[in-house]
Amino acid sequence: MDTKDFLLALDEMLELDPGTLTGTEELESLDNWDSLAVISFIALVDEKLGLVVEGEKLAKAKTVADLLALAGVAVPA
Amino acid sequence: MVASVVHGVTIAGVTACLPERRETVADLAARFGAEAAERIAKATGIEARHLVPPHQCTSDLAEAAARALLDGLGWDAAGIDLLVNVSQTHDHILPSSGFLLHRRLGLGKQAAVLDLGLGCSGYVYGLWTAAAMLRACNGRRALLIAGDTTSRVLDPNDRSVAPLFGDAAAATALVADPDAPLMAFTLGSDGAGAPYLAVPGGGLRRPDEPPHLFMDGTQVFAFTLREVPGSIRAALDLAGWTMAGVDRLVLHQANAQMVRHLARKLGAAPGQTVLALAGHGNTSSASIPLALASALPEELAAERRRLLLSGFGVGWSWGSAAVEIGPLAVCGTTLLSADGRPAIPAGAARDAGLSANSAGDAENSA
Repeated sequence: MDTKDFLLALDEMLELDPGTLTGTEELESLDNWDSLAVISFIALVDEKLGLVVEGEKLAKAKTVADLLALAGVAVPA
Repeated sequence: MVASVVHGVTIAGVTACLPERRETVADLAARFGAEAAERIAKATGIEARHLVPPHQCTSDLAEAAARALLDGLGWDAAGIDLLVNVSQTHDHILPSSGFLLHRRLGLGKQAAVLDLGLGCSGYVYGLWTAAAMLRACNGRRALLIAGDTTSRVLDPNDRSVAPLFGDAAAATALVADPDAPLMAFTLGSDGAGAPYLAVPGGGLRRPDEPPHLFMDGTQVFAFTLREVPGSIRAALDLAGWTMAGVDRLVLHQANAQMVRHLARKLGAAPGQTVLALAGHGNTSSASIPLALASALPEELAAERRRLLLSGFGVGWSWGSAAVEIGPLAVCGTTLLSADGRPAIPAGAARDAGLSANSAGDAENSA
């Protein structure tokens, strides 16, 4: 799964218009990024990439780019 | 991981008891706002939960479930060899509630009583313990009770837990039967998970702190994805089954997203996967038997079915079981009113379809 597809999947998960997220966004600035979204994110990464994200690392994520890095997806330059 | 096969024991019946009072999304909206309440319901699949009034305890629900079961089976309580009671919400610090139920149900002095302090993995652990110990004592009949009143140990204004948990207890009858199909169990534990799902207060370590449930949902979900699929595959292997040969996958009913995700990961079809939490929420150790009694009563009363059960949670603790059961003589749910009377008479457990259907209607109309 490439970066673009992953960002689109995150858009859908957070009920944003496709193409909204670019990677630079602070998670705190996203209305729907809450404990429910965190669980959806873990499910998304597991389903698309077969990887279980570590809870401790996820708790430290600050930006959408941090989420991409956790999922092992290339972070946009 | 423990892998254990038990021969010569089968399940004769399963009943569950819910308190009559329900809390719905509308009730949550009043506390947390309509938008948050709707979002939580959509994400979890939980539309309503049954909650005990302040004067009712888990043992009250357990007693009603057990009476419905014993009445339905025509079993004499005095002839039960073993009572295993799984709960984390006891009436008292001591004695544990198993002994209160021994007295209230009229069990005899020859019976062994054992309490297990487990939550969402507790039904599988309890089934393993009851089946294995019934064989070990060369007994004939065992009663397994599993349930919690989690609403009594959480802050109703804590939106991270209050919308998720409901109260229930279930009773399962086990009987020695030399011709019974094997029961295959896999069990595991990891105490590193203790801080993430806990009621730290109200015990002896922190006596001045109120007993309020804390849950780190991220850690719970990550733990579940890490451990449960392997546990289930190992139970299938131990029984010599494949997922395609399972009639019903009955996972601990924590939330719909988790159940669906695990089922997909395991290659189970939606038709195999039991989802029975919309009207109940997460009912801790009662969730698996409540799912059997509320979603599958006609099916289990009519024919023999291959079930794959898996529970996981507080501890961390997890267990899976491959069991082939049915036709069950008794399978259904009952309600307990606030004044302590069964709102559906206990004898109606035989009419399992009636009570199960009414619970289902409640879910659909929520």
